[in-house]
Amino acid sequence: MGVTCVSQMPVAEGKSVQQTVELLTRKLEMLGAEKQGTFCVDCETYHTAASTLGSQGQAGKLMYVMHNSEYPLSCFALFENGPCLTADTNFDVLMVKLKGFFQSAKASKIETRGTRYQYCDFLVKVGTVTMGPSARGISVEVEYGPCVVASDCWSLLLEFLQSFLGSHTPGAPTVFGNRHDAVYGPADTMVQYMELFNKIRKQQQVPVAGIR
Amino acid sequence: MSGVRAVRISIESACEKQVQEVGLDGTETYLQPLSMSQNLARLAQRIDFSQGSGSEEEEAAGAEGDSQDWAGAGSSADQDDEEGSLFPHHGTFEVIKNTDIDLDKKIPEDYCPLDVQIPSDLEGSAYIKVSIQKQAPDIGDLGTVNLFKRPLPKSKPGSPHWQTKLEAAQNVLLCKEIFAQLSREAVQIKSQIPHIVVKNQIISQPFPNLQLSISLCHSSNDKKSQKSATEKQSPEDHLYVLEHNLHLLIREFHKQTLSSIMMPHPASAPFGHKRMRLSGPQAFDKNEINSLQSSEGLLEKIIKQAKHIFLRNRTAATIDSLASRIEDPQIQAHWSNINDVYESSVKVLITSQGYEQICKSIQLQLNIGVEQIRVVHRDGRVITLSHQEQELQDFLLSQMSQHQVHAVQQLAKVMGWQVLSFSNHVGLGPIESIGNASAITVASPSGDYAISVRNGPESGSKIMVQFPRNQCKDLPKNDVLQDSKWNHLRGPFKEVQWNKMEGRNFVYKMELLMSALSPCLL
Repeated sequence: MGVTCVSQMPVAEGKSVQQTVELLTRKLEMLGAEKQGTFCVDCETYHTAASTLGSQGQAGKLMYVMHNSEYPLSCFALFENGPCLTADTNFDVLMVKLKGFFQSAKASKIETRGTRYQYCDFLVKVGTVTMGPSARGISVEVEYGPCVVASDCWSLLLEFLQSFLGSHTPGAPTVFGNRHDAVYGPADTMVQYMELFNKIRKQQQVPVAGIR
Repeated sequence: MSGVRAVRISIESACEKQVQEVGLDGTETYLQPLSMSQNLARLAQRIDFSQGSGSEEEEAAGAEGDSQDWAGAGSSADQDDEEGSLFPHHGTFEVIKNTDIDLDKKIPEDYCPLDVQIPSDLEGSAYIKVSIQKQAPDIGDLGTVNLFKRPLPKSKPGSPHWQTKLEAAQNVLLCKEIFAQLSREAVQIKSQIPHIVVKNQIISQPFPNLQLSISLCHSSNDKKSQKSATEKQSPEDHLYVLEHNLHLLIREFHKQTLSSIMMPHPASAPFGHKRMRLSGPQAFDKNEINSLQSSEGLLEKIIKQAKHIFLRNRTAATIDSLASRIEDPQIQAHWSNINDVYESSVKVLITSQGYEQICKSIQLQLNIGVEQIRVVHRDGRVITLSHQEQELQDFLLSQMSQHQVHAVQQLAKVMGWQVLSFSNHVGLGPIESIGNASAITVASPSGDYAISVRNGPESGSKIMVQFPRNQCKDLPKNDVLQDSKWNHLRGPFKEVQWNKMEGRNFVYKMELLMSALSPCLL
């Protein structure tokens, strides 16, 4: 697991989501990246059940249960600003048993699917974010395999992102935050995806790149 | 208590037989109780064989002198290994009383009251034969590895004959399991050259023109097969190492299914390696998961081992043939004692007899793998050779040729001669078909003479000596060089008839030549 940056690519003006994805993948292929299959990251939302809330009427917490095809035998569960749990796939079965405490918000299942490219030490995943039948955005994930400390390789990652994202290059992810010297792990990637999905959920329509 | 009339109490024993059904007219049908053999089978199921210390036959045939048939429900005499086997054959055998006794005659010494009856397909003895043939035989010859006639191995003195029988039956069962697993994998695994499974033989081609055949040879003891012609078994035919390894591999497989890495394990986790259970919580990616799961089957392992053995034997044969064919320079091979099933190594030294301390620049470390040989030269070059034997031979020949020139260089240092030029790969002269020619030019300490050597693997050695001008009688008169001091310079070259030189090898001859050309100071 290397340092990963997950960002959103706005759709090119006058083009559909699929066309923008195609533009990006063509750029990557011209760069010399090698296609290596597909990937999928999905996220389900659960509310804490009303019965467990106290009489104070505090707002229920939202829990996200995510899967990543990069870690096929794992399941991730995280709260918004809270801890992220890495478990094996039996966790999904456990959630069924905990129906009384966590109710799933079926309508808000969101996922991103796309192709996986390998370019030397970089692993680039370009995916279409879909909620139900509609495509809502484009996610770009870049992982630099050899390094696990964010502060050591952020500038390299940024440079690489600029080479094919151009002006849509994101800033440093918030997960890097204050703990620059901490070891990066898969849970941090899932937190980034969760933030991305939440941002996309809030957007009513597909964002379009502004006129330069 | 006196005076009270005794009360009559009738006692009825509990119903011994369970009622199976009650008919409409009131008749009861009872469940037949278990017979002795069924009862024993039920009890034997409860026995934990992994804790037993003695052989199972003792547990099964508890009562001696009993004239009944006891059905012994046991799978083998060797508890530790046969558990963990997933072979569907149950391997049940019967323990019976030995009625083969004539009371009139004296009881023989090795008489044992028990005898065993084993299933007919486990009778006789079997072994797995692995052999390598250079040329592929006709397709019609496939599957003709005959049943052989082999006398039953002599039982150890003191061990009852049923033990021998059981051990032989166990061996047959193990061989059948090995062969079943190999043939299953041969059919399932896709490889470039498909494996052929015919009757009791599996044939595959690890290298072109090389055929590996694994066959199950089973002889039963009945009269029929004893009449069939016995096959001439040549001892070189078998690869006993691979047969032994097959047995080891299957036992390892059995152990793995019951190893402490698998058991105990949480009830909710699937069977598998302990680290696989951690792959979820530790978010292993695909590479890490693949490294945990060994995907190689028995057949692949055996084929890899066979390839390695073959490559190693051929390398040894090549080196030995070169060593016996070429006397100068000498080639030495030091094989390492420590090697792997897939890798061996040998150190090859090329030396000249009598000059081992001086001329030791050609030292090669050969790492023989499954399909390739990796050569590490003393000067740091790493060369990968394929399995072709010609490549290795050509390479060694070119190294031997280079050695001669290196030897001259070292000799020059010792003798005080100066190296004027040296090249491992000269671009002049006839082209060699194997490797390149090397050349060196050395000058005597006084500068009067120079020796020039060109040595190629095919073209052999050519030695020329350069004399000072004043020693050459047939020099044309020159207008340019008028001063007599120029006559001290070296002039034309003359070839040396090397085969007429005295000396038992190249370096010795060179030393003599150098000595002859360095005038004595006395």
